[in-house]
Amino acid sequence: MTSRSYLGEFELMLLLAVVHLGDEAYGVPISRELEAHRGRDVSLGSVYAALERMEAKGLVESTLGDPTPERGGKAKRYFRITKEGLRQVHETRRVLTELWRKLPESIPADRNQKTAVWCLT
Amino acid sequence: MRRTEPPPLATWMLEHLVPADHGDALAGDLLEDFRAGRSDSWYWRQTLSACGVSWAEGLRVRIPLVLFALVWSMLAPAWKVFIDGIISAPVFDRIWPYLGPFSILVALPGWIVLHSIFLWAGILVYYVANTSLGKALRSRDIKRAFVLAPLVFTPIYGAFFLWADLYWYSFFANAKLATTLLGQISDLQSLADVLRLPFFIALLCALWNLVPQSARASQALLAESLQLDSSAQAASFNLTPRIRRRSVAFMVGTGLINAMIAAFILCQLPPSHAPTLQSILVRATLYVGIGALAGLVGTYLHWHSPASPFRTNPPLPFSLFALVCAAGWVWVPSMGMFRQQISGLTALVAGIAAFFLTIGLRQSTYFLFAPATQLVDAPAHENFELFAESLASPRAEASGYFIAISLFATFAALATHQNLIAAALLASSTFLFAWKRTFVSSSSPSNRYRRPALRLALVVIPAVLVTAWALLDGVAHRNRVEAAAALAAAEAALAHEDASEQAQPQSSATGTGGYESLILWPFPEKKPIVAPIPLQSSFLTPGTTKPLIIRFDGAYWYLQPPDRRPGPTAHQAHGTPFSAEIRSINDLPLVMDAHQPLGASIPIARCGKIEVEIESRDNRSGSIEMAVLLTDASAPGKPDLYLGQKTIPSSQPKPVAIDLASGTRPASAMKPAPVIETLEFTVPEAAKIRKFNEITVMLLSDRDIDSAHVGPKIGVRQFQLFPR
Repeated sequence: MTSRSYLGEFELMLLLAVVHLGDEAYGVPISRELEAHRGRDVSLGSVYAALERMEAKGLVESTLGDPTPERGGKAKRYFRITKEGLRQVHETRRVLTELWRKLPESIPADRNQKTAVWCLT
Repeated sequence: MRRTEPPPLATWMLEHLVPADHGDALAGDLLEDFRAGRSDSWYWRQTLSACGVSWAEGLRVRIPLVLFALVWSMLAPAWKVFIDGIISAPVFDRIWPYLGPFSILVALPGWIVLHSIFLWAGILVYYVANTSLGKALRSRDIKRAFVLAPLVFTPIYGAFFLWADLYWYSFFANAKLATTLLGQISDLQSLADVLRLPFFIALLCALWNLVPQSARASQALLAESLQLDSSAQAASFNLTPRIRRRSVAFMVGTGLINAMIAAFILCQLPPSHAPTLQSILVRATLYVGIGALAGLVGTYLHWHSPASPFRTNPPLPFSLFALVCAAGWVWVPSMGMFRQQISGLTALVAGIAAFFLTIGLRQSTYFLFAPATQLVDAPAHENFELFAESLASPRAEASGYFIAISLFATFAALATHQNLIAAALLASSTFLFAWKRTFVSSSSPSNRYRRPALRLALVVIPAVLVTAWALLDGVAHRNRVEAAAALAAAEAALAHEDASEQAQPQSSATGTGGYESLILWPFPEKKPIVAPIPLQSSFLTPGTTKPLIIRFDGAYWYLQPPDRRPGPTAHQAHGTPFSAEIRSINDLPLVMDAHQPLGASIPIARCGKIEVEIESRDNRSGSIEMAVLLTDASAPGKPDLYLGQKTIPSSQPKPVAIDLASGTRPASAMKPAPVIETLEFTVPEAAKIRKFNEITVMLLSDRDIDSAHVGPKIGVRQFQLFPR
């Protein structure tokens, strides 16, 4: 019997970035992907810490690439999502979608809009 | 022009302060991004953040280790006392002179080894605990921890010793550890904490790298062990079902019997008549641990004995079996204590223990036995027919009848106070019920340990609380029994005294451990008969200035905190504080009260001050404080008014005459001549009570331990109440 657990916000974003980047999923592109969508700086240390936690849980797996001179002779560490990781992404998505569906359509996007909606009704 | 190399200090920090497992890739990523156009400040931010995250992650992983080191180092003062006992053994005093200056070469390694044994035992316990929970630890790290522990401990201990001697000498010279084992463990005073700190730091340093492997590594190791387990299971299926069942039952029974024996021998009530809640909780925790440990040891010995079929073909790992059974063993000490008190709770605790034990056993050994009965035996949907006669009739279960009869018999046994029989019956019926009704599902390998560990963790706290309850109840029960026995003995002695008409001095406790409290009535003096408590009407008349004099003819109460009044079974005797020698025979100090009831209530508004005249003959070292309480005994709850506390000047010891034979001053508990003195207490105009009809004089000893356990030789002569 598999245990049912749901991903946190940052973990979900990381897994989606790893899926999206495919074979090019290592620290730099992953952090850039997150920065592009979140609109703020991402700490690479946090990215690695979260990915290691997920690796320990069996959600991702990693392999070391070849060392390159532009990286000071340090190897890249590529991450790839596992079947279990993919299952958990889908499960989290399903739950979130169901929860979103139950919300009224006139859900405010931010505080100002909320005020306006309530004033009109 | 922008440089292509990042700040060297930041790079050094990345290489040295971030763990190497992902530090290289992270450093490479940061360098790549920096060369792509990132700023120095970005690089610094990323470096500091990476250090912070890795440290936090390292600490998070080691939280169980820190907690373990903390708990283990709590035992350090007890170990220190134990070591001191060894070091100060007389045999060494005879050996050291022979070694001369070389004694240090033997003493120092011996001292280090004795202290290291405590640390090595801690490392071993940590290793066994992790292995039992299925967490893999590298044996190389274990060996390293064993070597590292004494190397770290010795300089840290030396530094603490120097620091304490240089800056805190006067404090530590007078500080002492508790005399009892529990007191040493629960002692949170500075001396005990300073002793614990080097052990804590050394244990933490030695075990720092000994964190369990990542889940994946653990799972790999676990998978290996499970492969072994599955082969063992296959082998164990070669045993007949009867042998399998009998062996499991035997192991469970062995553990329970061992836990019971240990509880019977080791789990005793605290010696104090009024123990603190802290000491009760520590004792309860220790007893729960003893129950679990005794069960574990007993089962281990039988599991691995040559006659055991599980020695070569264990159907499940011993650690898993022990984890499951520990949920039942932890209840045994409280059960034993309730049994000693002839309490019906024995049966209830036995039932709870049986319930948790059975659930765990059923879930962990499901493959050894037939599948559990389903809760509802509904007919399959496709075979369901609409006619009444086709409905499935419920299956008759013999276990149901057995449970019902056992429950009935349990209540019958409880009604006749046969608690052990009731406990056995309730445990049997609970066992059967839980065995039949526990839902069994095949769990994943990682859950095999997680579920019993979680159950044990949830059960331990209630078990400790129930044991604490049993201890508190036991102390109260023992106090009642002793008081009743003391009263009976005193009455018997009195009867004997009356019969023989001989005045015999009474022993204090008649061998039962002492009285709970004592009331001492002064001998009635030969005096002319006067009207009872002459409460002159003039005192209550406004404008009167004449004081009201009340000669003390009440009783002296001898109590121990937290009691404030003698109990209903307090021993009563005749005598004065000068003629009676009353002392406390446990650890608690003695409190003496002189209690004067008044004939009528006096309004607080009429009384301005009270003078207490006393006769002091006490000559022990240290001073005695006097406090006065006015009580309105007619009001509900008997509210009182505290008038303050003053030192009795004459309580300071006076030198006695020199003994000419020996040329020394003999220590005497009595002054050469009595001292009469008067202490004055002001009555506040506004108070929480409006009148009073009792005056209580409390004599509080501010003395050393020996003198505080003896009733002071001070008597109250009279009170003078001055109108306001």
